[in-house]
Amino acid sequence: MSLDISFIGILIGSIMASSVPLILAASGELITERSGVLNLGVEGMMIIGAISGFALMVITDNLFIAIVGSMLSGIIISLIFGFLTQSLLTNHVATGLALTIFGIGLSAMLGKNFVGIPGKEFPILFSSLKESIPFFGPILFGHSIVLYFAFALPFLTNYFLKKTKLGLVVRAVGDSPVSASNQGINVILVRYCCILYGGAMCGLAGAYLSLIYTPQWIENMTAGRGWIALALVVFATWSPIKVLIGALIFGGITILQLHMQAIGFRIPVQFLSALPYLMTIIVLVVISRDSRKIKLNTPTSLGRIFYREK
Amino acid sequence: MATDLRISNISKIYPGCIANDNVSLQFKSGKIYALLGENGAGKSTLVKILSGVISPDNGEVFLNEKNLKLSSPLDAKKNKIGMVFQHFNLFDTLSVFENLNIDATEDNKSLRLRINEILKKYNFSIDLDVPVLNLSAGQKQKVEIIRCLLRSPKVLIMDEPTSVLTEQETEELFISLKKFCDEGILIIYITHKLKEVLSLCDEVAVMRKGKVVSVSQTQNEKVETLANKMVGQKLAKIRKKINISKNKDEIFKVKHLNFYSDDPFETNLVNLNFSVKKGECLGIAGISGNGQNELFQILSGEIITPNTSIIFRNKEIAKLNPKQRREYLMAFSPEDRISQAAVPELKIYENVALNNFKSSNFFEKGLVNERKIKEHSKKILSDFSVNTDNVELKSQFLSGGNLQKLILGRELITAPELLICYNPTWGLDVGAINYIHETLIKINDQEKSTILISTDTEELLKLSDRIAVIYKGKLSKIMPSEEVTPEKLGVLMGGGSID
Repeated sequence: MSLDISFIGILIGSIMASSVPLILAASGELITERSGVLNLGVEGMMIIGAISGFALMVITDNLFIAIVGSMLSGIIISLIFGFLTQSLLTNHVATGLALTIFGIGLSAMLGKNFVGIPGKEFPILFSSLKESIPFFGPILFGHSIVLYFAFALPFLTNYFLKKTKLGLVVRAVGDSPVSASNQGINVILVRYCCILYGGAMCGLAGAYLSLIYTPQWIENMTAGRGWIALALVVFATWSPIKVLIGALIFGGITILQLHMQAIGFRIPVQFLSALPYLMTIIVLVVISRDSRKIKLNTPTSLGRIFYREK
Repeated sequence: MATDLRISNISKIYPGCIANDNVSLQFKSGKIYALLGENGAGKSTLVKILSGVISPDNGEVFLNEKNLKLSSPLDAKKNKIGMVFQHFNLFDTLSVFENLNIDATEDNKSLRLRINEILKKYNFSIDLDVPVLNLSAGQKQKVEIIRCLLRSPKVLIMDEPTSVLTEQETEELFISLKKFCDEGILIIYITHKLKEVLSLCDEVAVMRKGKVVSVSQTQNEKVETLANKMVGQKLAKIRKKINISKNKDEIFKVKHLNFYSDDPFETNLVNLNFSVKKGECLGIAGISGNGQNELFQILSGEIITPNTSIIFRNKEIAKLNPKQRREYLMAFSPEDRISQAAVPELKIYENVALNNFKSSNFFEKGLVNERKIKEHSKKILSDFSVNTDNVELKSQFLSGGNLQKLILGRELITAPELLICYNPTWGLDVGAINYIHETLIKINDQEKSTILISTDTEELLKLSDRIAVIYKGKLSKIMPSEEVTPEKLGVLMGGGSID
């Protein structure tokens, strides 16, 4: 098989496409976690986003409504999580796990009538440039708007956290909710907002799968991507840029090992399938070795329940 | 403009405890006020109410005759009441500047300018762009103070500000506070340290069990009178009978104790040699950070050093771990009650069970003998007058004094021959300190020995039979305590020499 330059361009383009849901979900969860909330319901929120996006597309025949609707459904389901953990002070881990199980079940039920319905083609941007420029064409052009948004998101997130006042407040709440509250910051409100934002991004990540990446509804189609996104956030030590790197490595090796399997490398298939997980963890652990930076980026109060003294 | 803060009939009731019982007080600017009381007297509750963190069940706060509604910390800020909490309210992972920026309304440039002005005016030196977790306790406190000053406060409340400071830092703080006071800021200083009240404050209000029991001018008070008001009874003066006799057996003997560490935060110990006789208290003085931590850990067996000889009751124990040493009837009370001596999340009886002996039968065939441990714990609670009889209580809910009593009780109930304690009264109030001191003296009276490593010279002079000073990992010669004066100790602790 000849590895000509245009093939590599197409390969990179497809790697980028496959990492989009990870980038979206992980960036959303990163903000949630930076405020001190550990939401393990990423997988559940993604799958709900996937089915509601697809269902809305079928019902309204309008992709815009479908995308917005998927984000809203992510918000609604994360609102349940927010209410339970922030207002009723339930345990973050247990509630998040329940949310995932709930999401998977609910999506299967809602999706029953949508199995087998073909999806609609999602508009891609700059499709003419994709064909005309060799190598860079398929990398830079011919993607959906969601992909461009996803690749901008880690940088926007980084800017938000480091340069804006609101980002500072989010970090402060994640560092010490008691201090923040004593400084007059409404910790519960900030955390609610971060949870809902995380929900919206997870919903969008799900919709990307069911509307753009593989435009159809398949039960359980997120296939563990939510868990990968969660792991990415931790192994990237809560740094948005490292989340992007991690998502690309994961997406890259996933695609590459598929090609390797197709070519028929004499490596056990099981090992190849495990490769993306292994490599992502190794690379992220290696690039995040600076223990001082880890300490500065880790939200100290992550997963701890906060309530205001009365 | 003069500030006048009045608290009128404040009450706050928690389940099972009246934290503030009809408290009324008046403060005027230009003076430094002390709010004095034991742990749990209700001081912290009162200041939390003043800073809007909690709201009172009853009562009102007036600032310049304006009735304040303090239902959130924001309200206190708006009304120019600044507060420096005992446990810092800072964000460790954010930089100093970010910490100060978080509730600022101006842009970064002018904020930085104003901060630099304050730094210059009060001679603070703090790097604004390092994360707070890299700062010392004194510097963190300065950041808190700057945060208050940025809002040009009328009232500044300091909650036990010196509990984490070194003596040098305390002096600097007092100088700053006096400056603030001269500039017209009303200062309320909460503490249980009597000497600070007398040296810093103009007026003192004493609280006990949620009530204000006395308000007076500090110039009319002495340490003893304040202590009696605070505790509510006359404190017995403790004096120890010095009992050195040459012909008593040496029970504990350390030879060639050397310790070398690569860690820049640890102190190397250089050739320490000392011995303790039966029924004797050996005091080891020194400014903290001169090797006391390392010495304690080596004596307790947490660190094993090569080529050191430790003889205890005629046996070589230098290679034994803490548990094995305990079996030989040694007992230890580390400095940090919360993280070293006890597990705060565990219940009282569970903490008691941590110090288990073969003979105590707390565990049978790998199972916990809960009944036995609880009986044992109840005995400790009553024998050492811990202020609860509920062995199911989580240890974190005990006050410092009660926790220390529990820890000492746990160590002493096995009737050890030697107790090694490190700053046993650190951060405690006078009542608890008195109790601990009495207990330590009682041990010596029963012909058991103690090694007291302490940074409190007064405590050392009161309790020790012989005293040595540790400075930069080296031990001075050991002196009989009647030959030692506070001045002599001070010189040795600072690295000087006497005679």
